[in-house]
Amino acid sequence: MKKRHEQKLVVLSIALFLIFNIPFILIFNFEGAIFGIPTLYFSIFSVWLLSIIISYIVLTRHYE
Amino acid sequence: MNNYTLISIIVIYLAVLFYIAFLAEKKRQSKWVNNPYVYTLSLAVYCSAWTYYGSVGIAANSGINFLPIYLGPVIAVPLWIVVLRKIIRISKQHKISSIADFISLRYGNNRFLGALVTIICLFGTLPYISLQLKAVSETFEIMSDDSSYISTTVIDDSTFYVALLLAVFATFFGTQRTDASEKHKGIIASVAFESVLKLVFFLIIGVYVTYYLFDGTTDIYNQISVLPNFKQLTTLSGVEDGLNWLYLISLSFMAVFLLPRQFQVSVLENNREKHLKKAIWLFPLYLLLFNLFVIFIAWAGKLTFGSTENAEYYSLLLPLENNNSFLATLVFLGGFSAVISMVIVSTLALSTMVSNNLIIPYGFLDKFIKNQPERNSKYIKNIRRISIFTIIISAYFFYVLFSKELSLYSIGLISFVIIAQLAPSFFLGLYWNRGSSKAAIIGALVGFCIAIYTLVLPFTLRVYTGTDDFTQFGLFNISSLKPYALFGIDFLSPPAHAFFWSMTFNVMTYMVVSLLAKGNYRERNYAEMFVDSRNFTTLQDSALVWKGEAYVADIKNVLIRFLGEKRASRALNIFFTKYKLPKDTQLADARLINFSEKLLTGSIGSASAKILIASVVKEERVSLVEVLKILEESKENIVSNKVLLEKSNELTQLSSKLKEANEELISKDKQKDEFLDTVAHELKTPITGIRAATELLMDEDDEMPKDIKAQFLKNILQDSDRLGRLIHNILDFEKLETGRLNLDLQYQDIQKTIVKAINSISQIAAKKEVQIINKNTHGFITSYDEDRILQVLTNLLSNAIKFCESKTGEIIVDYKLGNERVEISVTDNGKGIPEEDFDYIFDKFYQSKHQNTRKPAGSGLGLAITKQIVEKHQGKIWAEKGVKNGAILVFTIPFK
Repeated sequence: MKKRHEQKLVVLSIALFLIFNIPFILIFNFEGAIFGIPTLYFSIFSVWLLSIIISYIVLTRHYE
Repeated sequence: MNNYTLISIIVIYLAVLFYIAFLAEKKRQSKWVNNPYVYTLSLAVYCSAWTYYGSVGIAANSGINFLPIYLGPVIAVPLWIVVLRKIIRISKQHKISSIADFISLRYGNNRFLGALVTIICLFGTLPYISLQLKAVSETFEIMSDDSSYISTTVIDDSTFYVALLLAVFATFFGTQRTDASEKHKGIIASVAFESVLKLVFFLIIGVYVTYYLFDGTTDIYNQISVLPNFKQLTTLSGVEDGLNWLYLISLSFMAVFLLPRQFQVSVLENNREKHLKKAIWLFPLYLLLFNLFVIFIAWAGKLTFGSTENAEYYSLLLPLENNNSFLATLVFLGGFSAVISMVIVSTLALSTMVSNNLIIPYGFLDKFIKNQPERNSKYIKNIRRISIFTIIISAYFFYVLFSKELSLYSIGLISFVIIAQLAPSFFLGLYWNRGSSKAAIIGALVGFCIAIYTLVLPFTLRVYTGTDDFTQFGLFNISSLKPYALFGIDFLSPPAHAFFWSMTFNVMTYMVVSLLAKGNYRERNYAEMFVDSRNFTTLQDSALVWKGEAYVADIKNVLIRFLGEKRASRALNIFFTKYKLPKDTQLADARLINFSEKLLTGSIGSASAKILIASVVKEERVSLVEVLKILEESKENIVSNKVLLEKSNELTQLSSKLKEANEELISKDKQKDEFLDTVAHELKTPITGIRAATELLMDEDDEMPKDIKAQFLKNILQDSDRLGRLIHNILDFEKLETGRLNLDLQYQDIQKTIVKAINSISQIAAKKEVQIINKNTHGFITSYDEDRILQVLTNLLSNAIKFCESKTGEIIVDYKLGNERVEISVTDNGKGIPEEDFDYIFDKFYQSKHQNTRKPAGSGLGLAITKQIVEKHQGKIWAEKGVKNGAILVFTIPFK
């Protein structure tokens, strides 16, 4: 795997760290629910899933 | 459910696990055992009973705080491609067998550091194992119909027997080999199997609760959202809560690297680096699936039971409440799986650490040196077996003493905070080559003490004294020393608070001491190897700088003690072959020292290996500057070696080319000689004729009749002509063969050229009364040198005429268009070409070799010249084989 593609995953990790912590996490910090899932949970799970998809794409495309 | 039914279910389940582990151990190379999915599933040992039961408890009681434990790993996992891969590479290269080994090796095989790491890991893991036992005992209690079931003594307590069974399992599959850096495929396979079970059963109960007991997620949400305090369950209460949240995420981020069981499965049991490719996205997915239904199970339980007293076991209580004991059994088995895998992998990792970093280097080494190899390996295995039992039994007593006081969640977090004390020496040591062993030891000690003071001491004292004074008023009633609010920082939860203080002091101490005290040369050597691992993998055994005097025989003796005669000799043989050293080498070099240390590391740990090897060699101290210089040099050497190799390859190629050229020249020279011979011979024949005739004419000038005289003169003329023709042909041929001839390529009609050739030769044909037929009368224009092709045609035609009988002779000239080429053929009905001559007719002077039997009928160069001309046109010329009457000669001219 080339360094550039490895760094994509490193940046993903940094982005996750930022988004899962204050102050960013407070953006989703309000009452209410989507499909019966409270907003905060729903947004965390969505970001989580998104990160899985991104790593999947990066790895299947660039892992040698 | 009946106690005995439950126990038999447990026993059957354990038997299945034994069988799976046994199969995997038997088929170690099978692809069922070695694949990225098994690797990923084994990583899921992260989800222990804490995840399985504890998360639900937190979700029901305090809300969102169960999530950071999984968000940490989710953030960490993408980094694996860089960090974990580096760790795996280093570990494989040095045959590392535990995290204590890894850290102590980084700081120059430091014996005390290895022991300290082991002790921290023990303190961190024992409560964690006891947490698992607590879960087993409490779920057992819930499942058994005897609701008054309370264990009074150890002998009555089924948890004790479960713990013993687990110890047997870990002993059986964990200590089959002396070398702990070897893979434990049986255990890993069973862990993977359990990971599938626990996830599937948890999802089943989640779906059952959400969609069967309730009417989907929205239904649960609508019912729960009317309760008071609901807001605190679904949101963060503010910035202070956010800080707690941040510390918990950091804690779990570190834990996923540092927990002994995680290090065991992710680093030591990693078969191939490329398994990371799947694990990096599959592992977070596993964690996500595990967390999906947690809140709904928690809220459903809260709605059903009202109180949150037993919230951790809602997933069991809910199906039992609805009389679905089958589902409850599944959930119980899932939780049991989570417990088993965690306990077994943890004890395996810990027992290796205890034996290799605590017991062997502190006390057993002298004994080992005197012992026989078989007994040594038995001793090592026994130490590990006893460690496994001791660890599990200590965990059991911890559970008996403390667990009833604490929730699963708080025990888990205590473990995390203690284990996190390894983080500075681990992570910083991996990327900062200044970090020194002193700093690592002092930092970890300081952090550990703070963690004990702020987290362990309060609940221990509460159990012993029965009062909360220590927590309430602090040490000696100094309020700034309150364990949960050091120096007045009282807004953090106890684990986050402990983490904050211990980690701050740990990191700062580590960095400050590292900068104040320089490590010794050996330490710096390993630091360079770890930090710059990519560069040093290529150096392999020469990456260790070592100076001194050592004998191969002494080192071999040490190796034999631990590996046995056969393996030690084999290993040394491999070493000597690898570095191309003679088998009877006497003096050992740095590479052999490093190689032997690595060999021993798997069995007795890196610190002991260093001590053992050091005991048989005389080491000289090397200055730090020298170490760095030698390392730099060896790095450069490798580079220049590569360049040298390339250069020498180039030279070899060049010399072989030269050889070829030389051979070609020699053969050319030979050909030239032969050619000259033949030419001289050819020239001599007509000259002899001319000379003889002239002599006769001069001697008998008067008496010779006039007609005979004329005959002689005619002979002279003919021979001169022949001589002239010969010389012309030779010059022509030379020109062609040396490539000095330039073709005058022009677009011409091939048909017209053929007609020209026939016309020029028609005189001779008419004289011999041979008929020439031009068969194909269509014109075709292509590019060629007309003069030269005329020469070819004339040559072929005159040859044909020569071999034809007069009167009956018939020559057919024909051409056809083929695959990008014109194919011109000259067919005659003469005497044909003898079979043995087919391969030679185009050779120069070929006919001359038959001069004794046949009269020369040409210069012998005609066909050779023809061939040269055709080949110069990139064409081919050949005589058709298998012709009954006469001969067919064909040549081609390519066109585009």
